[in-house]
Amino acid sequence: MSRSRFSLLILLRRGLMHRRTRSLAALFSLIVSAAVATALLTLYASLNQKLHQQFRAFGANIILTAPDGAALPPETLSTARAISGPESRIVPFAYAVAQTADGAPIVVAGTDFSAVRAVDRWWQVSHWPDAENLSADSTATAALIGTRAKNFLPGENFSLTYNGHALPLHAAGTVHTGGAEDSRVYLPLAAFTAWTSVPATTLEIQAPGSAAQVQRLLDRLRLALPGVEVHAVRQLVESEGRVVDRTRALMFYSLLLIALTVAICVLATLMASVLERRRDFAIMKALGSTQHQVSLLFLLEAILLALIGAVVGYFLGNLLAFLIGEWNFHTAILPLWQIAPQVLLLNLMVAILAGGVPMRILRAMKPATLLRGE
Amino acid sequence: MFFRLLMESFLRQRRRKLLAGLAILLGTTAVTAMLAIGASVGDAINRELSSYGANLVVTPKADTLDVEMGGVSIRPATAGNYLHEADLTKLKGIFWRNNITDISPELPLDVTLATSTQTTARTVSTPALVPALGLWFRHTLRYGAGSSAETYTMGAPAMHPWWKLRGNWPTNDATNEAVLGSTLAAQDHLALGDLLLINGAQIRITGIVSAGDATDRMVLLPLALAQQIIGYPGAVRRVYVSALTKPEDALARRNPDSLPPKLRDRWYCSPYANSIAYQIQEALPYAHAEQIRRVAQGEGTILQRISGLMWLVALAALLSAAFAVAASMTTAILERQQEIGLMRALGASRAAVANLFFAETTLLALLSGTLGYLLGSLLANRIGQQIFQSAIPFNPVLLPAALGLAVFVSLAGGAPSVIRTLRMDPAVVLREDT
Repeated sequence: MSRSRFSLLILLRRGLMHRRTRSLAALFSLIVSAAVATALLTLYASLNQKLHQQFRAFGANIILTAPDGAALPPETLSTARAISGPESRIVPFAYAVAQTADGAPIVVAGTDFSAVRAVDRWWQVSHWPDAENLSADSTATAALIGTRAKNFLPGENFSLTYNGHALPLHAAGTVHTGGAEDSRVYLPLAAFTAWTSVPATTLEIQAPGSAAQVQRLLDRLRLALPGVEVHAVRQLVESEGRVVDRTRALMFYSLLLIALTVAICVLATLMASVLERRRDFAIMKALGSTQHQVSLLFLLEAILLALIGAVVGYFLGNLLAFLIGEWNFHTAILPLWQIAPQVLLLNLMVAILAGGVPMRILRAMKPATLLRGE
Repeated sequence: MFFRLLMESFLRQRRRKLLAGLAILLGTTAVTAMLAIGASVGDAINRELSSYGANLVVTPKADTLDVEMGGVSIRPATAGNYLHEADLTKLKGIFWRNNITDISPELPLDVTLATSTQTTARTVSTPALVPALGLWFRHTLRYGAGSSAETYTMGAPAMHPWWKLRGNWPTNDATNEAVLGSTLAAQDHLALGDLLLINGAQIRITGIVSAGDATDRMVLLPLALAQQIIGYPGAVRRVYVSALTKPEDALARRNPDSLPPKLRDRWYCSPYANSIAYQIQEALPYAHAEQIRRVAQGEGTILQRISGLMWLVALAALLSAAFAVAASMTTAILERQQEIGLMRALGASRAAVANLFFAETTLLALLSGTLGYLLGSLLANRIGQQIFQSAIPFNPVLLPAALGLAVFVSLAGGAPSVIRTLRMDPAVVLREDT
């Protein structure tokens, strides 16, 4: 028994090493198939999350307002923050109509600049108001002026009046969006509330995840904040789901097509390389090997190649997925360990199928016929 | 003799040719389909993204400051300047007119709402003044004159696909029909078909719309009726435009008037949101057009990511198909080492054998490649139909690319083994492979 195993190992090694080009071609195709399977499966698995993440470029997808323009209850922000979790971003807004020096009405808004900066990435801001601006002119509040509003204000330093209270302001920068923001003046929320005594009237929440996840968050917010109007930005949520679904469907078909192509090419390569060795097969049988032993040898060869191919391909595939993530989404797509067994299984199946089909053909033939020629 | 050998090789070794040919065929199919999809996915996604609404807005140039909070304008409707409704046809005359998919003019105003004398059962409890919006619903825009005139149907419903309507939009140019926002309707217990007095005129409610924003508290009127109410025929406060645009790049952000002529032409002839806005301003010199950055920038990001993804996947398909085909060609040639040895032993020169093999491979690659191109194009077409309800057209540019690739990869896969075998002594080759 030990002798036969010993000779089997020698045969296996010889079989693989003797005609190296053929073995390398087979191994190479098995590496390609494993790498492609790994890269595409990893990409597909993280696609949903990556795509939804891209849609956050449209900003907030949930809006909380008090009915009839009233102020939100003071604990709303902390409750919303607790419910929506650390991955959501929340921007508070408060609005009031103030007067310029010549009595014209202008919308003034109070907000949290660092939150706006993270959520409303389309705001084109020349310079964000920050601590620097405040220290430069400590008496005036640093404000962000809409590009349209700028034309109606006297200059960098001006004051606005609300309810008889004047507030000196300093234009730290301008904001341009092409929307209603262009006609407004933005202040830090604390300064705004101190001036107008209007607290936040709107919370804009940028929540991650799919439409279903956003819907669940909406339901939880409605339950926890009964007096507040909670609604999704329908325009964003509906289209997002559709575009993500269609992109995923497109990817799915692409993956299927690529996987099928590679699998059949690999199958063709391996089958040809087994068929090529029908003479080895015939000689072994002529020398007295059983059908069983010969099949085992060929199968072991295929399995060994498939194993090496799967291990090398798995690493190459993860590298490919990582690079695609970096190039396209600017975030890494990390290896998924759970797909390793699937890749291995897939490779083994291809190898065994590729070895098995020609074996069945060869089994039916007599060694003498095979040795004589075609 | 050469052609006979070539012919016989194809006729006699059908299994081998079939396997190698199948590999090339599938490789070209996958690559063609992926490239065709990659090339047209941008347009398809762009059309999907137009459901985000307008990405451009046109306003009068010398305007008063908007006083708008929560989507409701506080400024009196009669203040400031207007655009002229008749001028909107000019938007369909600009360079990128075909990229403009929808135009929706708006005229905000306040109206008084009262119960019509004919419906005694209902009483309106709203404050006398409610915000209203004059809109196109299904307006027919005619561009050009005579028989070459093109007509387009445009308006607010197409601009806001997320609006959910119960009932119908007012018919074209009707001045006695309106749609109510759902919150307003619920608040006043108004229903479809009710008659209302809006600023004294009798109006029938043909629909109730839910938009999920401030529109839910408004009355939506046909534009002509709104103009009649404020007493400015043809007046429009702002126009929303939805256009298919190209994502913004470094060039798009430049000021066209400071660019050298050649770059300026490129800027002008690229469908950037900025260049379309610029062309709208050329067509309407008294207006100010600009991109709505929230929509335009977001769309740009999504478009770039998705088409980038498809290109990368197409590249991965190309590489893996190339490797897989090369490997199967290597094996296909290795199988035939004896044949090479035999031909050499019978006196064929190295060049003659190499020529035969390369001719064979090229022929096989061309045949399978053409089939693969056809199959791949068909597949891309079907996938486009299935996912985006718009077929991906056959792209003839891909044929030479697909064929060139098939020939190159097959030769590159087969050549090393052919050359290696040719370098060996025929006697060794013949003995070796037993």
